[in-house]
Amino acid sequence: MRDFIKSAKFKILLAFIAFLTGIMIYSITRGGYSVGGESFINTITKPLRYVSNSLAVKVENTADKIYNAEEYYNENKYLKEQINDLKKQLADYDNLKAEVEQLRKFAVIKEEHPDDEFSVPAEVLGYTVNDPFRSFTIDRGSDDGIEPYCPVITADGLVGITIEVSAEVSVVRTILSPDLSVSAVGADSNAEYGVIEGTVLTAEDGNTKMTHLSVDNKLEEGDLILTAGNSGLFPKGYSIGTVKSKGFEKNGLSACAEIEPCCDIARLSDVVVITNFRGKQGQEEETTETVEGTSEE
Amino acid sequence: MRIRPSREKKIFYIKTVSRWIVYYIIIFFFFAFMTSGTYLKPMILIPTAICIAMKNDMMGSAFTGAFCGLLTDIACGKLFGYNAVLLTVFCVGTSLMFSLYLRNKFINFLWISGICSFIQCCLDYEFFYGLWGYEDVETIFRNTHMNSFALTVISSVFVYIIFGIVNRFLMPKEHLSIHDIIASQPEANLRQIKPPESRRM
Repeated sequence: MRDFIKSAKFKILLAFIAFLTGIMIYSITRGGYSVGGESFINTITKPLRYVSNSLAVKVENTADKIYNAEEYYNENKYLKEQINDLKKQLADYDNLKAEVEQLRKFAVIKEEHPDDEFSVPAEVLGYTVNDPFRSFTIDRGSDDGIEPYCPVITADGLVGITIEVSAEVSVVRTILSPDLSVSAVGADSNAEYGVIEGTVLTAEDGNTKMTHLSVDNKLEEGDLILTAGNSGLFPKGYSIGTVKSKGFEKNGLSACAEIEPCCDIARLSDVVVITNFRGKQGQEEETTETVEGTSEE
Repeated sequence: MRIRPSREKKIFYIKTVSRWIVYYIIIFFFFAFMTSGTYLKPMILIPTAICIAMKNDMMGSAFTGAFCGLLTDIACGKLFGYNAVLLTVFCVGTSLMFSLYLRNKFINFLWISGICSFIQCCLDYEFFYGLWGYEDVETIFRNTHMNSFALTVISSVFVYIIFGIVNRFLMPKEHLSIHDIIASQPEANLRQIKPPESRRM
């Protein structure tokens, strides 16, 4: 032992420990910055540490997957179920939101036309196959108070009329069809009366046509066209569309205009049927009959 | 042809019933397809009815044709029964043609289906549009009916494949009982001399 203490090896060892202690003390005085040597070692070993660390992480992960496979499987299953539930909730929320917005718009219509009676909002079940005039079927029928020849509207304006009604569904003929004529009037210049009647060519572009206009009419492009309400089939004051272009009939005796409907008739989702309104054709007859009956009595 | 054991009668009934159930499920599926989506679609129930009539007896074909026609009327918003009458006639004709003159081949199905679709297409145009004299009415024939006809012919290929698969698994094979063989012995000899199949296309 005494020999070892006196040996040169011991002295070198002591000197080395003293050197390390000195480095330690020096590094304390650096205030958080690493010593040059440490920094050098860190730089040299950085790539190696990257590789070793990534390898270690992979090994650990693999081991973790093997040991906790069942736990992860159950957790995954639970999370998937949660995601599905949330997706369903989100879809329900979106549907509800759309429905509320639609109902809000319909509520505005009801406020604007307090005398008219409306059906419950109806959903478009589907368009008639290969019909160039885009007639469609709705999911409300006579059970909901709908009768043949009731006007059909959206929040934006007039769409068409019911032509075939069964207990739970109804078929709607649109304003693009040449078989439907609607008495119409310009909203700005209240004197320009005409008839909305679809044609084959305008229906191709999703538009309709206003005919029987006077040659010197004051309609301009962009003017709003409303229902005139003098036929007894349609109530007064509902938007039909806007004037897209003007022209003359082939006979040259009257003018016509291409009308762009207020709503995209080819892509409807919800509509409302006007079941009763002031000045309805059947109602007038009934009133007349009642008056006649009363006078006879 | 092989001699039929007694239990094959039961298999025959099961297969026949299953086949018709599958036919009608497919018909409903095609109806749902016709009544959804955009407005221009193939009249897929026409090749369907023809394809069923091709391999089945006249009465079954007639009934199926009428049923497909009624569904087509609903989907197309046409006069209820109009297409039913047309398809019944087409199906009876097809069933007779295939039992008497034609072989069950794809090309025969394709041209018969094409002709029937074209006739339906022309009649539909004439009765529902042409007759009423709308302005520029020929545009409807060109843009709607001809496109629909083309789609119908294309769809008939898929219809043939689908029904081919169904028939392959559920169509009972022709078997003869011992009594049938004994009874048809002279006819069988005659067939050997002049097989009726040779006269068919």
